[in-house]
Amino acid sequence: MDTLLTAQIAANAPRYRRTSSTFIDGIHDVPDDQGNLAPAQLYSTMSGRLFHSGRIAIVMVGLPARGKTHICVSMARYLSWLGVKTRIFHLGDYRRATVEGGHVPQDYFYPNASPASVMLRQKILKKCREDIYAWLNHENGQVAIYDAVNPTASGRIALAKEFAKHDVQTLFIESYVDDQEILKENARNVKISSPDFHGMDPDEAAKHYLRRIETKIPVFETMDEDELNYVKMINAGQAFYYNNVSFNYLSHRIVFYLTNLHIKCRTTYFVRAGPATDEDSYKADAPLSEEGEIYAQKMTETLLRHREQERQASIDQGGPDLPLRPLTVWTSTRLRTIQTGEPLKELGYKVRLRSQMSQINPGVCEKLPESAIRRLYPEEVAKHELDPYHHRYPRAESYHDLAVRLEPIILELEREQNDLLIIAHESVLRVLYSYLMHCCTKDIPKLKFPRDEIIEIIPAAYQNEAKRVHIPGLDPRTIPGSPEDIRIRVPVDSSAQLPPIPGMNSPEPAEVVATRPPEKIVNKAKEMVSDKVADED
Amino acid sequence: MAPKINGLGVMPEDTRICVVMVGLPARGKSYIAQRAQRYLKWLSVPAATFNVGNYRRANAPHPSANFFDTSNPEGERQRRAAADAAVADMLKWFKSGGVVAILDATNSTKERRKWVLERITKEGIEVLFVESKCDDEELIMANIRDVKTTSPDYVGQDPEEAALDFRERIRNYEKVYKSIDDDKDEDHLTYLKIMNVGKKVFINRIQDYLQSRVVYFLMNLHIRPRSVWLSRHGESMFNLDGRIGGDAALSPRGEEYALRLPDLVRESVGSDRPLTVWTSTLKRTIDTARHLPKHYNQLQWKALDELDAGVCDGMTYQEIHDQYPEDFQARDEDKYNYRYRGGESYRDVVIRLEPIIMELERSEDILIISHQAVIRCIYAYFMQKTQEESPWVPVPLHTLMKLTPRAYTTELQKYSANIKAVSTWRGKGSTAKHEDPTPEGGI
Repeated sequence: MDTLLTAQIAANAPRYRRTSSTFIDGIHDVPDDQGNLAPAQLYSTMSGRLFHSGRIAIVMVGLPARGKTHICVSMARYLSWLGVKTRIFHLGDYRRATVEGGHVPQDYFYPNASPASVMLRQKILKKCREDIYAWLNHENGQVAIYDAVNPTASGRIALAKEFAKHDVQTLFIESYVDDQEILKENARNVKISSPDFHGMDPDEAAKHYLRRIETKIPVFETMDEDELNYVKMINAGQAFYYNNVSFNYLSHRIVFYLTNLHIKCRTTYFVRAGPATDEDSYKADAPLSEEGEIYAQKMTETLLRHREQERQASIDQGGPDLPLRPLTVWTSTRLRTIQTGEPLKELGYKVRLRSQMSQINPGVCEKLPESAIRRLYPEEVAKHELDPYHHRYPRAESYHDLAVRLEPIILELEREQNDLLIIAHESVLRVLYSYLMHCCTKDIPKLKFPRDEIIEIIPAAYQNEAKRVHIPGLDPRTIPGSPEDIRIRVPVDSSAQLPPIPGMNSPEPAEVVATRPPEKIVNKAKEMVSDKVADED
Repeated sequence: MAPKINGLGVMPEDTRICVVMVGLPARGKSYIAQRAQRYLKWLSVPAATFNVGNYRRANAPHPSANFFDTSNPEGERQRRAAADAAVADMLKWFKSGGVVAILDATNSTKERRKWVLERITKEGIEVLFVESKCDDEELIMANIRDVKTTSPDYVGQDPEEAALDFRERIRNYEKVYKSIDDDKDEDHLTYLKIMNVGKKVFINRIQDYLQSRVVYFLMNLHIRPRSVWLSRHGESMFNLDGRIGGDAALSPRGEEYALRLPDLVRESVGSDRPLTVWTSTLKRTIDTARHLPKHYNQLQWKALDELDAGVCDGMTYQEIHDQYPEDFQARDEDKYNYRYRGGESYRDVVIRLEPIIMELERSEDILIISHQAVIRCIYAYFMQKTQEESPWVPVPLHTLMKLTPRAYTTELQKYSANIKAVSTWRGKGSTAKHEDPTPEGGI
């Protein structure tokens, strides 16, 4: 009942603002930062719309268990990152808010449904569409992503006409899957945690689930409408077909992104590089110090132990006894990150070097203590304090420059199918983390990645979640902040305090605790949509 | 993005791609190949095209259509030898640090594609097939007209005869042509199939980011004939003073250019066909465009704004030289990469122009009114100027440039308004307010 209430509020009040903590993906948060630029936004316009692309409705097409929600959420994350104001409208949220318990009549999806069911469907659709128009017309939105099954050709043609009347272009994205393995895998991963399938063999449950969809939604026509703009993603990105009536830059950009997306579930870990012999110099590219070597060893042990524990925990909770997913390691081309990955490489893990993942260039601030920077560049310091994300010191890079430079990495990150460990400088981790967790631009320079923690990002269709895994037994001197960074304290904006997460904004505890269990995250938003597992629209 | 060896002797990036073109003659393959190569090089990715026709021409400079008949064993042998030589050279080029190669040939049979795939994947290089398929007669004819006037095969021949021969050549290819996966036995290939100039596209098994990037670019291409017009804004008050940047108004002579521009454009277009006009968001380009006919659609792009000179905005070169002597020198040493304090480098401008280039590739008949550095970057893209050359290219004021992409080259025509203006070109090391461009200046 509580769940229903929250969902109802969200669905019925379009201006209701939800903000997640930095440890919960903020992709469904409604931004209140009208003037703020997105992390990798290249420019801004008066209308708030970019690339001369006007307003676009992206309409999802596909049966349940085809990874639609995952595609919407990922796409929204990427578009927002580029600065395109994007919001997702899950029709399921509206259905849940309108119908008690979210249970619709048996014939809800039937082509010859009873008048009562048709009325109900119309009512839910109308509410959702009104919110889409409100977003595009009054809230400066550029892209509305409409997440629903949209099973029939006639329905889709009518929808495109309806949007065109409101001067909104429509782009359909269908996720089409005929590979039974992918279907079963999706059903297993996302849907069968529902109580309906409790205690059932996962394969059996997946089959049951897929059969249930067939009876519930008997008519589904795959896209073949010549007059519509559409992209058909076949078998989770193995092939794409698109029909182009009037694509623009933004539509192509979306297809480009989709060619790098997959719908498999995997984990990303972030760790810092160990301390180096010459911490202060950017140009020297120094090797790891002795403590650095120890750090690399302990980090490796902790990570591998943690992965094994997680697997065991999942089996204990009745999960299937599957082998661990393979792990790939990415480091930058800086020596200390490569060397931090050495122990894993020796164990046979694949390590890839990515030149774009080099730390932020400190420019003239290299080797300068904060007092010297304040003395030498008082004007630059003043500008930096006003906008630490976009400001660049002479000859240096800003976080914004870094984010733009990291774009290929972001797409490769989406492409990677193995579990992934990223070993990089704190500045790079901040930017990559902010992408996956959809952090607000102004918070990015303040994100903290102490050396004694492995950050684990657990993906879910609806939103990602981060977990902190403690690395025990490190020398406290190796733990604190980022000595290689520009030594300007980032002012803590008191009006924009992050929700209290232990250790996030407070100074590092000097004392080293022997072991700490992985940090638990309370994700209210997740509870709110927990019944999405049973979603069928 | 060239592979670099770091301290540990490891290659950071090891993806290498061979783009293998597929399709009948006159489907715009060479055009697509040229474009892809230019785009990648512009973005600093080492790229090269290997045109099998060029290798074949070494032995058979002006072959007749029956040379291409599959039942002609001598023609068949020579064509196979040419493909062999092109692939061998390409593999050599990869060894010297190449990242993306384009093999430009018809590759119209399954057997040929299989041969190419095996030969290239053996060397650890990924293969991406790109097929251009077209059944729109009008488009094909336009392409034939273009090819017969520019192809080295028909140099000095009667155009009518050349067209007839060329159509006969196509017919010979049609006898054996098989579109990728038409027989449903090539699904294992990574390929992009573009039908009727991008109306429908099929993408299969993209392997990595670089491939997706190439595909993304190719999706934006079209082969319909068109031109791009470039002009700087009219002379501004800052130009008169030799100041850079700013948001100054036009000088009286600049106003004169704005008035003259509509006629100049009409003369260059040759008709009243409307163009789409893109300006920057700065006053001097908007003012320059304001007398153009009402039926020309106008758009302002922030991305077309002048290179941001940061702290030097509004200064003369002499003032920069005096106040930031080290910067002044550093800029002349590597003008492409030099970034003004708090401002931009040419490299930065190229990054922000990427959406413009994509949109340009998609569109037809665009007139861009922008600024010196921005025009240089766009010009460098079309005319294949290197990073050493492009920041020094002279782009005189009060001159309209018309660029027409052809299958093998881009044609450049200049139209002077014959209205006097100062020169804003500057040679390496110079602090002069106004100086005339010299061919060796800057390079």
